[in-house]
Amino acid sequence: MSVAGTIRRNRLRLGVLVVALVAALAVAVWRDVALTALLTTGFVERSIRAATPIALAAIGGLYAEKSGVFNIGLEGFMIFGAVNAVAVTWLVSGGTAGTVTQTDLWIGLVGAVVLSVLYTVVFAIILLRYEASQIVAGLAVWILGLGFGPFTAVVIWGSQSSPRVGRIDAVSVPGLAEIPFLGDVFFDTSPLVVLTLLLVAAAWVFLYRTRYGYWLQAAGENPEALDTAGVNVSRVRYAAVIFSGAMAGLGGAVLSVGLSSGFVGGGLTMVDGRGWIGIVAYLFGNYNPVGAFGAALLFGAADMFQIQLQTINVDVPATLTGLLPYVVVIIVLAAYGRTRMPARVGEPYESEN
Amino acid sequence: MSRQGTVRSALDRAADRMLTAGVVERLGIGIASVVLAFVVGLCIVAAAGYSPLIFLNEMLLGALGSQRGIALTLRESSLYILTGVAVAVAFRAGIFNIGVQGQFIVGGLSATMAILRLAPFLPTGAVGGVALIVLGSLVGIAVGGAYAALPGALKAYADANEIITTIMLNFIALGVVLYLISGPFQGEGRQEPRTDSLPEYVEFPSLLFETGSFSVVGLVVALASVAVAYVLLTRTRMGYDMVTSGKQASAALYSGVRAERTIIGTMTFSGMVAGLTGAVFSIMVLGGYVDPQGIHTYGFDAIAVSLLAANNPLGVVPAGVLFGGLSRGGSFIGITTDIPAQLVDGVIGLVILFVAAPELFRMAARRTGLGSERR
Repeated sequence: MSVAGTIRRNRLRLGVLVVALVAALAVAVWRDVALTALLTTGFVERSIRAATPIALAAIGGLYAEKSGVFNIGLEGFMIFGAVNAVAVTWLVSGGTAGTVTQTDLWIGLVGAVVLSVLYTVVFAIILLRYEASQIVAGLAVWILGLGFGPFTAVVIWGSQSSPRVGRIDAVSVPGLAEIPFLGDVFFDTSPLVVLTLLLVAAAWVFLYRTRYGYWLQAAGENPEALDTAGVNVSRVRYAAVIFSGAMAGLGGAVLSVGLSSGFVGGGLTMVDGRGWIGIVAYLFGNYNPVGAFGAALLFGAADMFQIQLQTINVDVPATLTGLLPYVVVIIVLAAYGRTRMPARVGEPYESEN
Repeated sequence: MSRQGTVRSALDRAADRMLTAGVVERLGIGIASVVLAFVVGLCIVAAAGYSPLIFLNEMLLGALGSQRGIALTLRESSLYILTGVAVAVAFRAGIFNIGVQGQFIVGGLSATMAILRLAPFLPTGAVGGVALIVLGSLVGIAVGGAYAALPGALKAYADANEIITTIMLNFIALGVVLYLISGPFQGEGRQEPRTDSLPEYVEFPSLLFETGSFSVVGLVVALASVAVAYVLLTRTRMGYDMVTSGKQASAALYSGVRAERTIIGTMTFSGMVAGLTGAVFSIMVLGGYVDPQGIHTYGFDAIAVSLLAANNPLGVVPAGVLFGGLSRGGSFIGITTDIPAQLVDGVIGLVILFVAAPELFRMAARRTGLGSERR
């Protein structure tokens, strides 16, 4: 992978980014906005934090799709992850908001991932054994999340949203946190941000540098060859789908007990499209975990841009600036809709023997 | 010409075969999905510590137990039939318009604002009321159609996946409508996000039923939309193009279908029906416009309605009535029992999940020896 080759292959993507940046700059110069006030360390830090749930779901979805299965249900699994993390935290803490400890929150996070795995096993069986329409079944997971997410909240707390339970504390690494910029962004932040970065790196290494990663890619590109090589295609696909549900569940849990302090079930719940945005993130990132993280960062920045606008006193209502991520997603899809999917995605595979 | 003719007649024959052979099986799968979803739902009710019997009893009582209940069931049914048609038309053409909810909201606000702004120029009373309802509905239809044409064009010319663009446009519709009704369009002297109320004479006449928020006119509009969609799909060139594209895109291209135009046309028609639903909802139920976050997600549930109907506009009628009963029963248990009303939303999700996996029932049928047809 030479640098020149990478640039050539991604010229459209890079072109879109350059045009967007130039347009943003032109607006800034035209409106005489102080750029230094816009691009602050805080903005970078907030953007990375906002990107983490999206990136986690994106990596899960990317793995499933690489193996040949669409997991359109990411959004639904995120809703379940978000509500279950708070529910488990609540139950282990003994059921009062005042007594929630950091340990309880971590147990809640892990518990949510375990539950997501259980749900996804059922989902994977329906998709793979019963050959369900992957798009319709994925949509069903979203509708299920929109129903049973708030349902769970009403059963436990008597309201669609949970009370405030607190969040997993930021960790400051002594010494390293003092480094300008880098210290603030990486060494004085939520441990979940660091965990996400590690998972992104691990997902890249696993996919492109291990035998199992090649199996995963072969399951989506050429399942017959994988079958001939003596690897069970179905097993690889099950593993990938279950992993994707776990990652989406983790993304939802990070949202509710990592970035916020509880579950919000009104409207389309607190997940508010982050799972769908995760799908666009891996498409735009060309099915590469690092690329997907980069795209998630773009959407995270779009999400947090409203705070920057407030700091420089641009008077646009928050209801409208909050829509920026959705607009950016549509622009990205329109400018870069044509992606090269794995060849055999969405097709059931039945072994000859 | 002759060659194209052969292809078309071959496609016609294939379509006929699929339709007739599949009807019984599809009906079976639909019924089995609903029953299974309910069984799972009842298990969840029991697991959460409520009584499944009370749940069932109250659902039935709420949906059918009184004249008011029946009126509200029919009101919900009308809205589900309308949104169901909007979804079915798109799904039939192989286009996943998940944005019906957004198109419904945008259409509803547009209809409301058109009526409020035009009212001073027209006479009050019945004549003015009818004129305003017609004009408002036309505006709602136009805006709903335009809001759906956008993702259609993005799919046709830029290959942007319509599932994701329409979902994003749902979020954008929610935000923009909330902004408008708490800013420029907010009613005079209102604290909450809400427009002015529609004039009293702008309402559907209450025939047969006393309940103010339901009129038989709403149901008639819904059934008329079914008829229009059915004729469009089965009797017109446009409909033929849509159905063939949905069955097999390559065959459609070969028989001379212009893919781009079909996609945009399909989305526009689907959005127009969604916009009409919005107009009916704001005139018949709301009498103004409110925070869209609190409006029921008819556009999402309609996915289940359409799938149960095998994306056939005629099938949308019974499926819509069933969902009307579910929805009304659901809000009833939310009031009369402590069982969370969200349960019904979950059951709707289960219906979609099971309809998506017909193999589930085919395998079960083979095991038990039931329905020993082909396959």
